Amino acid sequence: MKRIEIDPITRLEGHGKITIFLNEQGEVDNAYLQIPELRGFEKFVEGLPVEEIPRVVPRICGV
Amino acid sequence: MKLKFGIYWGAACGGCDVAILDTHEKILEIADMADIFLWPLAMDFKYKKIRALEDNYLDASFFSGAIRNSENEEIARLLRRKSKVMVALGACAHIGGIPGLANMYTREDVLNRVYRESESTINEEGIIPREAWSEGEYELELPRFYNTVKTLDQIINVEYYIPGCPPVPLQIYSALTLVRDGMLPPKGSVIGAGDRALCEQCPRVKEEKKLTGIKRVHEVIPDPEKCLLEQGLICLGPVTRSGCGSRCIKSGVPCRGCYGPVDDVKDQGFAMLSALASSLDAKEQKDIDAIIDTIEDPLRTLHRFSLAASMLRRKKV
Amino acid sequence: MTFEPTIVGFLCNWCSYTGADLAGTSRVKYAANVRSIRVMCSGRVEPTFVIKALYEGADGVLIAGCHPGDCHYQEGNYKALRRYRLLRRVLPEYGIEPERVRLEWVAASEGERFAKVVDDFTDQIRRLGPLDIKESIAQSLIDDVVNHEEEATKDIGDVNEA
Repeated sequence: MKRIEIDPITRLEGHGKITIFLNEQGEVDNAYLQIPELRGFEKFVEGLPVEEIPRVVPRICGV
Repeated sequence: MKLKFGIYWGAACGGCDVAILDTHEKILEIADMADIFLWPLAMDFKYKKIRALEDNYLDASFFSGAIRNSENEEIARLLRRKSKVMVALGACAHIGGIPGLANMYTREDVLNRVYRESESTINEEGIIPREAWSEGEYELELPRFYNTVKTLDQIINVEYYIPGCPPVPLQIYSALTLVRDGMLPPKGSVIGAGDRALCEQCPRVKEEKKLTGIKRVHEVIPDPEKCLLEQGLICLGPVTRSGCGSRCIKSGVPCRGCYGPVDDVKDQGFAMLSALASSLDAKEQKDIDAIIDTIEDPLRTLHRFSLAASMLRRKKV
Repeated sequence: MTFEPTIVGFLCNWCSYTGADLAGTSRVKYAANVRSIRVMCSGRVEPTFVIKALYEGADGVLIAGCHPGDCHYQEGNYKALRRYRLLRRVLPEYGIEPERVRLEWVAASEGERFAKVVDDFTDQIRRLGPLDIKESIAQSLIDDVVNHEEEATKDIGDVNEA
């Protein structure tokens, strides 16, 4: 099975890769999008004083 | 002859890349200065292009974002091979940044919270992403999610640092002109920022630091002319490098240290602990303890941006 | 083999170091676990010193200074007390037991007291066990690996760029 990898995906914020699997006829058999990134904001903001949240979470995306 | 640059991100938000674009019309000068071989935010080059280059082909690579997983490390090492100079761009690459706060937790803590416990997630089978997956003929990989967030210089040699969250756009531009004109300071220097602590450039009036209590935002309306620390708001100005133009302080909020420490200070957070303790107006243990009780969340205030670069690097587990 | 604590002691020149010296010249028998560092004043001890000592292998840190009111530099010992209290408050957030850092007032004449403080503190650290920060950091990094030699040069092979 042939595969095409688009890595990294570009011109957006964040990491991503696309893998496309082709059958013998060269037709698309399946395609997958993966996000190879995680920072864990959901965890490390636990317990932050509420007034500090607006100073931390904008760093999720700077675009 | 045009220089050759690479621009890349690890565990990042894109803010440093946008800061480069925020140089507005100066981006044309930057485009004149260099050909860019990798810049996922703005240009469509793939890793394959970089792998095909000779070693040391690129004049400089600018790496923003912290090292959170094996892909971040892999590409950092790849760019290190292919570049004469590596520049850590922004607070995350310099001192760990906000993603560094995850060093209070372990890899399992983070994965469980994100994929299993968070309130808006439906994941009945409790599936967590794996490094290798296959189904029939389909095989996929993901990078390894590290237990500990690292700064760029904890995994490779870094020649220069441009600090800030984000760095001031014109400071990035002036750092690039140093590269263009061959006027770089000694290796290991911080560029695009000042030498002294922020207090020196802060426009507020500073008198005597005698804190009787730390206030939260709803407990005080700060005088816009006076030092915030003196009014009971913890401000990391005394331990933070200048260069940002006091943008937070001018907006009425205390500094959180995103430009990192001044030279020769190894641990920004514990330096602030020292400064804070020295400023308390109390002599008896019970009075001291009463003031300390008013401090909310000390770790994430002292080490907001610098936990990954701190002497302890993470919470001990 | 029972664990023998390594304790770093920051002793102020005028009072506590002299007191420790007196314990020695008086031939008092006490635990040998403290490595003494003479500072001019307990107020010289920054939190960074304490953290560095713990990081480099100390299981406990003792800070000793003049009794309140007796500081050779007037108020240095009060500064030490403020830094000490804040450090104790903050250490648990980093996963370190606050009892591993202790501040004591020891006068120049208090040789016996110094010996007792050291015996007491050594015993407490012995019960807490070794700290081993460096080992713990190394352990937390142990699975954070990428085979970089292979990865940096890998040819993706039968892959097309889109």
